[in-house]
Amino acid sequence: MREDSKPNRWVTAALLTPTSLWFLFMLIFPLIVILVFSFGERAAVGGYAGGFTLEQYANLPSRLKAFQNTMIIAPAGTLISLLVAYPLAYFLALRVNRRYKLMLLVLVIVPFWTSLLVRTYAWIFILGGRGIPTLLEFIGIEGVRLINTPGAVLVGIVYGYLPLMVFPIFVSLEKLDKTLLEASSDLGGSPLKTFMQITLPLSMPGIATGCMLVFILLMGEFLIPAFLGGGKVYFIGNALVDLFLQSRNWPFGAAVAVTLVAIMLITVSLYMRMTMRSNTGRDESLM
Amino acid sequence: MRIYAIAVFLFLYVPIGIIVLFSFNAGRHASELRGLSIQWYGKALSNPFVGDAFVTSLIVAFSVAFLSSLMGTAAAMALQRLKGTPRILFDGLIYISVMIPGIVIGIATLVALVTVFDFLNPLLASIWPEGTKPPKLHMGYASVIAAHTLFTMSLVIILVRARIAGMDRALIEASMDLYATPWQTFYQVTLPQIYPAILAGFLLSFTFSFDDFIISFFVAGANTTLPIYIFASIRRGITPEVNAIGTMVLAASLALLMTAQFLLRKRSQH
Repeated sequence: MREDSKPNRWVTAALLTPTSLWFLFMLIFPLIVILVFSFGERAAVGGYAGGFTLEQYANLPSRLKAFQNTMIIAPAGTLISLLVAYPLAYFLALRVNRRYKLMLLVLVIVPFWTSLLVRTYAWIFILGGRGIPTLLEFIGIEGVRLINTPGAVLVGIVYGYLPLMVFPIFVSLEKLDKTLLEASSDLGGSPLKTFMQITLPLSMPGIATGCMLVFILLMGEFLIPAFLGGGKVYFIGNALVDLFLQSRNWPFGAAVAVTLVAIMLITVSLYMRMTMRSNTGRDESLM
Repeated sequence: MRIYAIAVFLFLYVPIGIIVLFSFNAGRHASELRGLSIQWYGKALSNPFVGDAFVTSLIVAFSVAFLSSLMGTAAAMALQRLKGTPRILFDGLIYISVMIPGIVIGIATLVALVTVFDFLNPLLASIWPEGTKPPKLHMGYASVIAAHTLFTMSLVIILVRARIAGMDRALIEASMDLYATPWQTFYQVTLPQIYPAILAGFLLSFTFSFDDFIISFFVAGANTTLPIYIFASIRRGITPEVNAIGTMVLAASLALLMTAQFLLRKRSQH
């Protein structure tokens, strides 16, 4: 294409205009407003009253429990999802007949694109009073309470986000050069050794991507703790809904939201730096 | 290993199966199965609130899918010609809008729009001719559609760009060499090659918007989408009617996903 000709440049600009306007008005502007609000004061009737104060940030410890829950359960949920997802991704990528591979992968991913609301609701049903606890009573175990516990929230998390973890790991295992595995076993490497020294390191990029995707979504999670934590196990997302829609304390809510985004950015950039370093290290050692 | 895989598949699908099964419950209580019947589907379909919420969701999801596939495709076409800082800037914005949690987008959009409306409404009222009622800007269809489109537009850009990257450039060059205008080249050469990705993007955008709860919860104003209605019903108590609505929602997104999958598969057969 005649890339530098003048009319082409105008076409490029015109094609990008709607997208640019969207980014400007629906992403950049709202994020700036939220940042400004977080330094403001609460109006008597709720909402925002202007001013510049650090009061809202000083008040953050009053929502400490929500931050603690999120910072403990989100990483734990990510780790459990990884442990559940890895063997499945491994099985699908390396042990399944080519003919069924794609179909099975699609079966894993499809639930992710259906309503998280309805899928999480299913677990209220299963874990609630008339679900598993009733079944347990039949075999003589009584008084088991499953719903509204951290465990219930973790089950919901693994259920909701498992597909998102399986997919990137599957892709990295699928790309893996199978002759390396054969070479390792030909040279007398035990299956465990082959896994630890070849399969696992080479699937690291997939693990890193999957963990990052799941972790980011979990940091902003609202539905799962709202349904399965029942007001006892709540996340930052639940605190945000309360602050914006119930108590209408916008400046404080804005401060909580800004802190959430800040924590996410810091964790993700640290994590990316860590995984990138270990990736390049491995590439060198392979050569 | 095989047993483990079967167990995980059961874990993924049994809860969905339970919802579907209990939606055919003949009894009045959600958790006791007493024979099968389709009465709750009749109840759900004749409930005017469900009907209204369904129509609202459809309007929103269709507008979102239409806008995002149009703008996303346009942007994806333009981005391949963009280099240097603008390119990095756009890539960054695309990734931020995909990665940022829905709840943050919901809150930020709510706060920003309410602030803008509070500023604009008195202004509109003051310049409006005496005696007529000035328009009042408020949250509604436009705000939900705009907020959903931020995410889905970026999704379409990513999908279409991947397709463009895998396209045969020689065809475009041949078309240009044969004196086709850029528009002819786009319409006759590029578009037929990228349209499966655009359609898949359309369907995924539709599904995302149709299923989204948290963004709509903040910015839908007085409009109730289907997920908002389901959320409110669940808060009031679990009934077989909710199961029936949930089953229909799942079935709708499944049908769309199958179509998207079929189209993406077609793409790879080129």
